[in-house]
Amino acid sequence: MRGQDKECRVKALTSQELAASFQSLQSDYDVLVPIHIHDGTRALAKPGDGPLALAGGAVPQKITNAFFPQMQRVLEIGKDDAADEGASRPILVVGLTAPDADALEFLDRFFSTEFRDDLYFSLRDGSVVVCVSGRCGRDGEFLKIAGSRCDLELICDGQKYLVVGYTDAGKNIAEKLIGGVEVDDSALSELQRESDALPTDDADLIQAAAAIVQKDLVTDDFWARIADRCIACTSCNLVCPTCSCFEVYDRVAETGTVERWRMWDSCQLDGFMREASGHNPMGDESIRTRRRIHHKLAADPARWDQITCMVCGRCDDVCPTGIGMKTVCREILAEYGNAK
Amino acid sequence: MKKVLTTCPYCGTGCCFYLVVGDDGRLVGVEPSTEHVVSKGQVCVKGWNAHHFVNHPDRLTQPLIRRNGQLEPASWDEALDLVVTRLKETQAEHGTDSVAFFSSAKTTNEENYLMMKLARAVFKTNNVDHCARLCHSSTVVGLAGTFGSGAMTNSISCMEEADCILVTGSNTTEQHPLIGSRIIRNVVENGAKLIVADNRKIRLARIADLHIRCRNGTDVAFLNGIMNVIISEELEDKEFVRKRTENFEELKKVMADYPPAKAAEICGITAEEIVQVARMFASAKKAMIIYSMGITQHTHGVDNVKSCANLVMLTGNLGRSGTGVNPLRGQNNVQGACDMGALPNVYTGYQKVTEPAIREKFEKAWDVENLPGEIGYTVTTAIDAAAEGRLKALYIMGENPMMSDPDQNHVREALEKLDFLVVQDIFPTPTSEFADVVLPAASYAEKDGTFTSTERRVQRVRKAIEPVGQARADWEIFCDIAIRAGYPMNYASAVEIMDEIASVTPIYGGMFYDRIDQVGLQWPCIDRDHPGTPVLHVGKFSRGLGLFSPAEYRPSVELPDDEYPFVLSTGRCYWHFHTGTMTRRSRILDREERFPYVEISPKDAESLGLRDRQWIYVSTRRGEVKATARVTDVMKDGVLFMPFHFEEGPANRLTINALDPVAKIPEYKVCAARIKSAE
Repeated sequence: MRGQDKECRVKALTSQELAASFQSLQSDYDVLVPIHIHDGTRALAKPGDGPLALAGGAVPQKITNAFFPQMQRVLEIGKDDAADEGASRPILVVGLTAPDADALEFLDRFFSTEFRDDLYFSLRDGSVVVCVSGRCGRDGEFLKIAGSRCDLELICDGQKYLVVGYTDAGKNIAEKLIGGVEVDDSALSELQRESDALPTDDADLIQAAAAIVQKDLVTDDFWARIADRCIACTSCNLVCPTCSCFEVYDRVAETGTVERWRMWDSCQLDGFMREASGHNPMGDESIRTRRRIHHKLAADPARWDQITCMVCGRCDDVCPTGIGMKTVCREILAEYGNAK
Repeated sequence: MKKVLTTCPYCGTGCCFYLVVGDDGRLVGVEPSTEHVVSKGQVCVKGWNAHHFVNHPDRLTQPLIRRNGQLEPASWDEALDLVVTRLKETQAEHGTDSVAFFSSAKTTNEENYLMMKLARAVFKTNNVDHCARLCHSSTVVGLAGTFGSGAMTNSISCMEEADCILVTGSNTTEQHPLIGSRIIRNVVENGAKLIVADNRKIRLARIADLHIRCRNGTDVAFLNGIMNVIISEELEDKEFVRKRTENFEELKKVMADYPPAKAAEICGITAEEIVQVARMFASAKKAMIIYSMGITQHTHGVDNVKSCANLVMLTGNLGRSGTGVNPLRGQNNVQGACDMGALPNVYTGYQKVTEPAIREKFEKAWDVENLPGEIGYTVTTAIDAAAEGRLKALYIMGENPMMSDPDQNHVREALEKLDFLVVQDIFPTPTSEFADVVLPAASYAEKDGTFTSTERRVQRVRKAIEPVGQARADWEIFCDIAIRAGYPMNYASAVEIMDEIASVTPIYGGMFYDRIDQVGLQWPCIDRDHPGTPVLHVGKFSRGLGLFSPAEYRPSVELPDDEYPFVLSTGRCYWHFHTGTMTRRSRILDREERFPYVEISPKDAESLGLRDRQWIYVSTRRGEVKATARVTDVMKDGVLFMPFHFEEGPANRLTINALDPVAKIPEYKVCAARIKSAE
């Protein structure tokens, strides 16, 4: 196991033991864990707000919203006591999948390149990121082991979660987890082999479609046909862990105080790129649909040297009309897969 | 941070999501429920932004009383005392029915119930109505007449099962997006047939098998033409007609007068199109009609609805999943407001005020005497009565007739003539500008209760945050009003109100908060053990046999002429909701559509020398409005479409106050207009 100490014993905890540990960590951390909230929906929330729900794969909402939330106050002007916010605890976020860890790594790059986004790093700095993998995916699916891209990983052997700390911060948390037993690390090696042997169909699909998009083989009528099925709900953007666009707006109160907020934006909206004159370089929904795919598969690779769809599957789950990334890529391959 | 499960405050689809509450007690986001049967982890763009208006600085935060012509801050005691005193004085001077109450499809069932109870039990008038009058009153009348129940016959999940869907007068992907998306998937993924009968080229038309662009207001002729073909080609479901319906001979007689050629001529389409629609619809195993305001908002709205019902009965598409007549209700709780009896002719569950036994039942339940037996004013006739000086005082909860009712100048005149106007709302509106007392109400995120969705699903609304300022839940305000008026109305919480509703309303008899905690239940649900009713009229219609109710085509009241050569049709756009009070205070939504606009066909624009985004004047015999031109091939030549969300360009300054004779719904979809450049 890469990044792991040479010890041949590894700690293994049950979900119940982890739940108790996460509760106790709240004195030092702002802990966010996947739980079943009111009607059973899995969501990031505080331990104790519902039963822990580590199993089940990616939580429906993007995990990066722990650091880049839907709405975030940027600054306040005119308030009597501007320094009313006490020192906040570092965030401990649990439940990332391997694709989520990839997405977070990209988002860190994005928000630190050229200029550093203070607001993002005000939450991200000092945070501890815990991945969940192994035999605990949706419908029993095996979740790929993320490895050292996170601070700590909980790898499920089907019953317990094996705890692997990668960074000092992660190892520190690992020590604070209460209870559990020690098991031989051969169990870990077996899980790693299982992870390495996982099929890469989804990633291959995205790679193959990206190659076609990058060669500009996809014709306008294809995008128009996909756009005909788009109801502009913006969900694909709002759940995408590598989407980073935001809108800024000011809340001006009668008392004269002004709050500047930023909030998630969507390139699927007309207002996203419309100029003050009303002219819009992305004023057509088929162009916007093309952008949604092209940006992740062609524009980002050109700028960042990587495809920025990590195939987390959220946009496919959330799209009401079934035109998430994977579906569109399958249709691209079906239509242009034989093109040179 | 906490996440509170609730029901969306926009359209009637009834999606459930979590409101995300920040540590400072304000809303900071939305997360869809993955477990809810309708949402399935999804919401539309309005859902994603449903948190945003709640903490807007424009919220009404304290009671206001008009003094020396100005609305000035007042205490709750002052404001409530004044409301009760003035309503009582008005009744003493001008009679019991000189006051009226407008309830609200935006507020909860519990609040609609209490406003209805306040009007009837405390102020002894049946003058209580709400904006269902303006959207689906023709459905309630039309379907109650033909089937015995005036609601959507089937469930939203049925959209995924139908083999053939006729969508008429519903821009489903924009107004009920999560229903529209089911239609798209059923067509694209399952190969279901889609017929779109709408003269706008709406999104669904792009994937439709048939897109029929009739002249506005010719629906009866179109539907009759289809039935003529079905009958003459013997495509009807003979067994269903024989066993389940009555009055078929009369239907045949009337339909005989609508051969495809004649119907096509009225509609401005080809006879072949009518034949194609008839064959496609009649040959499907599971066919359904989905309709909305394009069917209902006409002076022949009831006839349109009955004709839809006739077609579906004729083809045997009722009482089974994947079929039905499915009117889509446009507001979060417009179904519930009707169910709660916020209507001038019925108590809860459509129990008639004219029946002595029903009145007696409610007198006993409410411990009052002499409940009124005369049917009261509707929203539309109340405005007329105010304009004529017959109505003197009006109490409006969460409605905005200055923006939503036809002929704004007429509404203004009516509101100005009132002796006393109370407006209870979450934001100041063009209507509250006329108020003598303004009461600040809690928003959907600040109170508990229930909404009933278009598929008759009663589901929970939960308090996520404290009300802003001094705002209070509508139901709490009503309790205080009633007590001041001398009637003990005490409820510790919304659940107690629902328990009372269940006790007096047979179709809600099994609606208890513990049972509807997560996904709700569909009425009729008659007792605690009843599982709810996903599909109505299984085996038997509510009225026994389905009643064929043939209608003759009647033209709309005001047709284009040389002076006003265009047909003006009004409605909503995707991004905004109704009179814009919430969506225009939601940043992302407001950014999408910032100005009033009028859609016009490229050919018409060219012939008038108009270009896209140009400012124009639109005028009718009622008034003139300035708006931007939107040149789009969505529009049919000769037709204009204008949404009614914009205070600065109110479409309802232009619409005609012509009503369906039975349902009293206005003809929002057809009037004559002209346009000219404003530059």
